[in-house]
This record gives sequence, C-alpha cells and structure tokens, in this order.
Amino acid sequence: MIKKAVILAAGEGKRLRPFTETMPKVMLPVANKPLLEYVFDATRKSGIEEIIVVVGYKKEVIMEHFKDYKNIKITYVTQDRQLGTAHALLQVKKHIKDPFIVLAGDNIIDAGSISKLIKDQSEYALLIKEHPHPSKYGVVFVENRNISRIVEKPKEDIGKYISTGIYKLPPSVFNDIERCTSEGAHALSSVIQSLIEKGKHINTLLAKSWMDIVYPWDLITVNEAMIQTTSEHTSGTIEKGVTIKGPVCIGKDTKIYAGCYIVGPVVIGDGCEIGPHACIFPSTSIGKNTVVHPFSEIRSSVIMDDVHIASTAHISHSVIGKGCIIGDNFSTISGKTIIEIDNEFKKLETPIGTMMGEDCIVESHVVVDPGKIIGRKCKISPMKQIRKNIPSESKVM
Amino acid sequence: MCGIIGYTGYREARTVLLDSLKRLDYRGYDSAGVAIIDKKLNIYKEIGEIANVEKKIPHLKGTTGIGHTRWATHGGVTKENAHPHLSCDKKIAIVHNGIIENHLKLKEELKKKGHRFLSQTDSEVIAHLIDDVYKGNLEEAIIAAIKKIKGSYSIVAVSQDEPGKIVGVRNESPLVIGVGDSENFLGSDITAFLKYTNRVMFLNDGELCVITNNSIHVFDKNKKQIKKKEELITWDVTDAEKSGFPHFMLKEIYDQPDTIHHVLRGRISEMEETITFPEPVEKLLKSDINSIHIVACGTSFYAGLVGKYLIEQLTNIPVFVEIASEYRYFGSRNESSLVIAITQSGETADTLAALREAQASGCRTLVITNVIGSTATRLADGYILQQSGPEIGVAATKTFTSQMMVLFLISLKIALLQKKIGSDELYNNLFHLKAIPRHVRDVLERSNEIITIAKELKDAKSVFFIGRGVNYPLSLEGALKLKEISYIHAEGFAAGELKHGPFALLTKDTPVVAIVTQDETYEKILANIGEIKARGSPVIAIAEDKDTDIENHADFVLRFPVSSHVLPCIPITVVLQLLAYHVADLRKCPIDKPRNLAKSVTVE
Repeated sequence: MIKKAVILAAGEGKRLRPFTETMPKVMLPVANKPLLEYVFDATRKSGIEEIIVVVGYKKEVIMEHFKDYKNIKITYVTQDRQLGTAHALLQVKKHIKDPFIVLAGDNIIDAGSISKLIKDQSEYALLIKEHPHPSKYGVVFVENRNISRIVEKPKEDIGKYISTGIYKLPPSVFNDIERCTSEGAHALSSVIQSLIEKGKHINTLLAKSWMDIVYPWDLITVNEAMIQTTSEHTSGTIEKGVTIKGPVCIGKDTKIYAGCYIVGPVVIGDGCEIGPHACIFPSTSIGKNTVVHPFSEIRSSVIMDDVHIASTAHISHSVIGKGCIIGDNFSTISGKTIIEIDNEFKKLETPIGTMMGEDCIVESHVVVDPGKIIGRKCKISPMKQIRKNIPSESKVM
Repeated sequence: MCGIIGYTGYREARTVLLDSLKRLDYRGYDSAGVAIIDKKLNIYKEIGEIANVEKKIPHLKGTTGIGHTRWATHGGVTKENAHPHLSCDKKIAIVHNGIIENHLKLKEELKKKGHRFLSQTDSEVIAHLIDDVYKGNLEEAIIAAIKKIKGSYSIVAVSQDEPGKIVGVRNESPLVIGVGDSENFLGSDITAFLKYTNRVMFLNDGELCVITNNSIHVFDKNKKQIKKKEELITWDVTDAEKSGFPHFMLKEIYDQPDTIHHVLRGRISEMEETITFPEPVEKLLKSDINSIHIVACGTSFYAGLVGKYLIEQLTNIPVFVEIASEYRYFGSRNESSLVIAITQSGETADTLAALREAQASGCRTLVITNVIGSTATRLADGYILQQSGPEIGVAATKTFTSQMMVLFLISLKIALLQKKIGSDELYNNLFHLKAIPRHVRDVLERSNEIITIAKELKDAKSVFFIGRGVNYPLSLEGALKLKEISYIHAEGFAAGELKHGPFALLTKDTPVVAIVTQDETYEKILANIGEIKARGSPVIAIAEDKDTDIENHADFVLRFPVSSHVLPCIPITVVLQLLAYHVADLRKCPIDKPRNLAKSVTVE
C-alpha cells in the first residue's frame, strides 16, 4: 500500500501575478483555504500517511500556514531553483524507498481519484482528465488504457485527454529523472515520454474532478465551484435583523451588524466586521480581518484577508488582494470581455470584474472597467476610471 | 527553567519520560536524568544532551517514573548534581525546580542524623528530609518534609515501596497535572505531556497531588482534599514544532502577522468604535489611577519601556518602568497606582515576587501574559492574555510585539476613559492598527535586503543601536536580540546620550544601527548620524519607506512601512529581529538555544 505522497509546491505561478508576487501559486485562497490545503485534505482522505512537499518560491508562506495542519506528517524539501517538475521531484529522492504518488500542489483533485490511483496495480499510472481545450496542457494519447504519447502544450487542439500531473511511480523513477535531467529535460512529462519510448507501460485512470488555475480570473470560477463544498457553520456575533439564506460560514470573532443580507454559499473568515446593511451574495468568500462598511454589495468575488471596503461599494466577479483599502462608492463593472495578459488577448466566456493585487489604496468613487488587472501596492486617486491594466506600485493621479 | 516530568500509566515510562524531556529542552538545560520503578528504583543521569541518558538506559518495562532537565543554580554541572536525587536507601527519588533557601542548615541537621550526601545541590536535601520521616506513605512524608523547607519549589517524588504512585507539590514554582485515560502526568509545563493529553489541572501554591494510573487526588496545606477543575488546552503539540523552518525563532518571527491579529481580534471593533477587555481589567482601568508602575524582566521589560512612551503620550498619567528584581526590594509604593506586570510565561520568579510585593503594599495589579492558568494570572486582580501561542525560541520575538500591542490597546482604552481622545481619534487609531499585520508581512517580504545588511554586521566585534523616544527601548531590544543569539557585543543607547560617553567607543569597526522615524525627533537623529559618521563608524539606518533623504546620511538603509505613525515600533522590531536572526545564522550560532540562557526563568 502506498503511504507517501510528494506534492510539488515550489513554483511561482507567473501568470497569476500580481497575486503571486507575495505568495506561491499554491497558496492562493479558494473559499478561504489555500489551494494546497485542498490537495493536502484529499491526499489525507485517500489514506496517505506522509506528505513530502517540495517548496521553493516564498516557501515561508507555506510553512507558516501549515504549522497547525494535523493528522499527517509533513516534510518540507527545498528546491532552490525552479528548473522544472522532474527536477523538483528529484529533490525528494532520499525520502522515498517505496512506490509513491506525486501531485501538483496547485490543482484541486478529489480524494476518490487519488484512492483509485493508490490502489492501482500497475507499476506506473497517471490520472487523466477529459478537457475541451487540451492545448493548454500536456495532451495524453491513450492506447489500451496505456499512454502512447504525451505532447506538452501543442499549438493546436489535438487529442481529448490531458495529464493531471498526478502519477503513481516506483522509486526507480529517480534514476530515469537523473538520466533525463542530465540530458537537459527537466519536465516530468519528458521523463515519462522517455519511459514510454523504453517500452514501459504507463496505465491511465480517469480523474473524477480536477481543476487548475492558470489565470487570475480562474480564481473566481474555482472559488464558485469549491465554495459549494464548504460546510455551513456560524460563530462570532450576528446581530438581530440579519438575514442569512443558504449555506453561510462565519468565522470566530466576526461581527455581522443589523440589516445585513447574506445569501449563501458564502464564506466569511475570522475577525471580520460586516455592515450594518451590507449585502453579500452567492459565491463570495471574504478572508480574515476584513471590514465591509454599510450599504456595500459584494457578489461572486474573492476578497482576501485584511481588506477594508468603505461604504456603498459594488464589487462583483472580482478578486481583491490582501490588505487593500478601498474607498467609498468603489465600483467594479463586470462583463464578458477580452483581457490582455502576457501580450496575448483572451476572450472570456463568463463575466469578469476587477482583479486587484495586495495592499492597494483606492480612494473614493473609483470605477474599474471589466477585466482590468491592478497590480500590487497601487494608489488610485479619487474619481478615477480605470480603463487599462495597471502595473504594480503605480500611482494613478 | 529546569524541566520536570512524572508519568504513571500503562506505557513504558522510559519512552514517555525521554520524549517529554526532549519537549522540555527548549527551556535550556545542562544535564538530565530519569528514575524508573521496575521492581526496584532505577536511576540514570548524565550531563549534556538527553541522548546521553537515553544511551545509558536499558530496556525497562516499568510504567512509572520521573524525569528532569537541570539548569545549574546550586552546584556545578556534574553527574552527581543532576536530578533525580535519592534517599540513603535508594528507595525514594525526587526531582525539584526552584531554590531551597535554608538547605545548608537542613543539610547539617540531616548529616548529624547520619544521612550521606552525594551532591552539592540544595535539592538533595529534599530526598533525605522525606526519607527521614518516611513510614510507608509518601504524601504524608512529603507534607512533613515541606514544613521544614523555606524557598520556592515544585517537587515530584516516587518511592520504590509504593510503585505506581507519584506525589507532586508546588510552592512558587510551576507544576501541572496532565489527565489521561489509565495514565496520568505531572509536568513543569504543559508542553511536557501535550503529545499525550490536552486535559490539564493547574496546581496552586501549597497544593499537593497524588496520582496513580487511574486516580488524581489534590490536597491543600492542611491535607484537606480539594476538587480541581479540569481544563482543556486547545493548542496542539505540532504548534510547538518547527514546521519546516530552520529555527523556531524564524518560525516565530513569521508568525507575527497572525499573532498581532490575535491581540486585536475580539477586542477592537471599528464599527462600534470600542476596545473591550475582560470585566476585571475594565474595572481596573476605570478606577482612579494616579500613576502606573510597569514591572518586568528582559524583553518584557523593554516592552514595558515602550509602554511608558505609549501610555504617557496618550494619557499624561506618569508611568514608571521597573526591573522586577529591583522593584521587589526598592522603588516607591503607592496605593493609588496601578502595577502592570509583564511576563510571557506567567511564571517568571522575579516578576511574580514583584507582583506579590505590589499586592502586599495595597496596589491594584494587572498582568500581561501569554499563559492562561499561569501563576501570574491567578495572583493579579486582572489579566490580559497576549495570545501569541507557545514561543519555543529562547529569544522572545512574537511575544514582544504582542506585548507592545496590548500596551497600546491599554493606553488607548485609558485615554478614552479619561476623555483624552475622542471617537474620531480612536477610529483613526483602530483603522491604522489593523494595517500593522500587513506592515509586518511587508517587512518579512524584504528579508533578502536584511540578509545583505546582516553580512555587513556578522564580523563586527561590537554593534551599537540608537534611537530617540519610543525608538530608544527598541534599540535596547535590538541590541539584546543581537547579543543573545549572535554573541556579538551590542548596546542600545538613547541617541542623545551618545555624546555623554559612548562616543569614546566609536571607531570605523563599530557599526551603528540607527532607528529613524519621521516625527519630531527626525532632524535630531539625522544630526546624531552625522556625528557618528564623522567618527568613521558605518551607519545602518532603519527608516520609513517614505523617507527619501536618508540615503544621503546613512551608509546602508533598511526600510519599513508605516501608516499615520501608529505603532511604527512593530514593523521596526521585526526588522531588528530579522537582522539579529540573519547575523546569528551567518555566524552559525545555535539560535534557538543560546548558551547559558533559558526560556522561562523561574529562579530569582
């Protein structure tokens, strides 16, 4: 029986800037829990007894968060330079003596799929998933349930299945990795491809639910999906005259003042102050120590820790980074739009509002056009309309 | 500072005792030992690491035993002086924390009666005293023995003739019962047995307990049985582990955005514009206060000095900050003054003594501590928990920042009660207070810049820290952190005091760390930096993000963020902590356990 899981959590997630400027991708919050915690939870539920986490970029943020994580042994191994997934895996060589599984720390996966992989009898196995747009991922071609070929990020949409990057592997794989990395191939998929060429059989299993976050706006859709799974419970102080409908989770020492109208699924963290007369609508998560002043409305959004939202704000389909201070009458316009990122244009099929990095200070009456990305530590003067992306640490006068 | 563990149950005592001693090792120790009853009483003790004892113990099946980590106070570090200590017939073993003041006199008396002493410790007297009156019932003998003892102690004892039974007694030294299923524990602190149970009972001074695998009886001085309430400890033992960080100290530094929030959470409300403390504290702060005396030791004392600036700035109540061990014997007493004692562990012997002294003189007392149920919380009229979670690194970090936060809340509360500030000013302060955890995160983000500067300091023989106003106690704390973990000589000075003496020490090899805030002292501290530069000493300035001029004055600059000058001392402290940490790390010092130091100093 497989006891150990290796979780790769060293990467930065450049495409998720500005949110990953101060935390690794795996720590992005979804329904008030970092992505990595979903991976830990699923791994633990599937019967794994020890997790070895490969950390690198901003590793302290991970270690600090999981200092209280219970019931499972966690060992941290550092990858100093983020060269690739195979290189990352190689760092744990001395910790592995038996067959093990490896997962990416930034993909949400269900425990059942991991159990299936653990129980699989073949020496090598991979969880795959059907995907409408496989070209963003490693495309897997399957023959008789075995992989015949992996193609990383093909130019066109070919194939049907993609690799989840979740493998069951024997310890001998480290020799193969060493061989491949010495030849300059640092991705795990290249190592697997070389094993196939050597005639190894790599079994494939279908994953039930698997989610990836690639761009900042993916946070909103993944948040919407995962917030459904959080269980309802309320602590803190809820004043008389608060209306709560549907599953709502309210943290310790949080105060909800009279006249608030909250429609679940909604998650509100510890130590917040909401209202009086604020409206929180479905698929919204609000982090710890956040304040929402009277008459503000928030829907389908991810509001991180320590955010301060003044009165009469309208925030919808948006991501607001840690510690932002948002003045009164702030408004996000949400809509289907074309977003510019990395000099590429992406057409979105769902409405999108503002994506604002950490520690921005936004003064009163600011309006942001759909799909605009505001960097970290920006300062925006009153009465501005934001019509384009703003790089980190800029001032909008 | 010594550690005690007692175990009786169904597991092999050997494993439990060794494991618990290892958990207590953060207190610092120089020798360790265990006594296990396995048919007869078996003793193993060694100087140095706990592993040295572990190597010596054969595989014993015994399920009752006691253990001790010693930090020498009376008598040198030798195998003989390590605990447990034995009676002459080697049937009774004791471990002891504290100091027996009349041990010389007792030793003489016992020697006359024919007792033979093997060690130079005060503790060994206890074993022989018990032996002297032992008639087959350990607790009876201990009650008789402690009547003769003067001093502070927590004692745990076992007897070969009563296997399965452990007796513990405390007076001015901590002892806690751990309640298990078919097993029970005694420990000098909770961490000792937290791996096995989180159900605890706190003993008060003068109380004695008798535990077996399935019973716990607690008695008062007069042997009257008393009922004890069981309490639940909610922090997990993994809290006390490093979670991937190379040192506890670094983990605890990174813990600060959270621990600072814990101070605020549930206490401040932005919407209602209130600060709320527990009822007894509110009552204390509402009462007529003419002056405040803050008593504390070490880093807590520096927090007290910061508190003086914070409270006086907002309230104009005079504040006197006293080193606890000094206050106890000297200094003024005033019934209309409020005495605030600051002790992280709630067990610091000097601070407790000062607290008792203050109460005896009729002062009202308030305690700021991290440990619920600690002696200090039970002594004082009211207490405020700083809620920092366990701090394992010997160098205080997160507990210091939390103490400053608590003191600021106290100053705001008093100012509000005395109508020195209005609701607008309070709102403004609360709003900016909430920004502090973010500022701390921001400083943590910059640790690479701090490492660069640490490289400049690592080979220095001597480093000076200077500041004005509230930055003066911070310079003291910065110097204390550096000296205690990196072993570099460091001193903190009020910047204005430099030319009254310390100037003589400045050379090009003595770097000076200057804390610079853009307040009314700004021009003055720049002038001080100029004077220092003129003597050729390199200057490292710790300055605000917004300060654009500082580069023209200092050789190196470390930055910190601040909003509206509310508590810049918190982010500054984090810069100082990281600086000390990285210097010590570059010098490869044992950061979590500096030589000769212990975490909680329970001797005077």
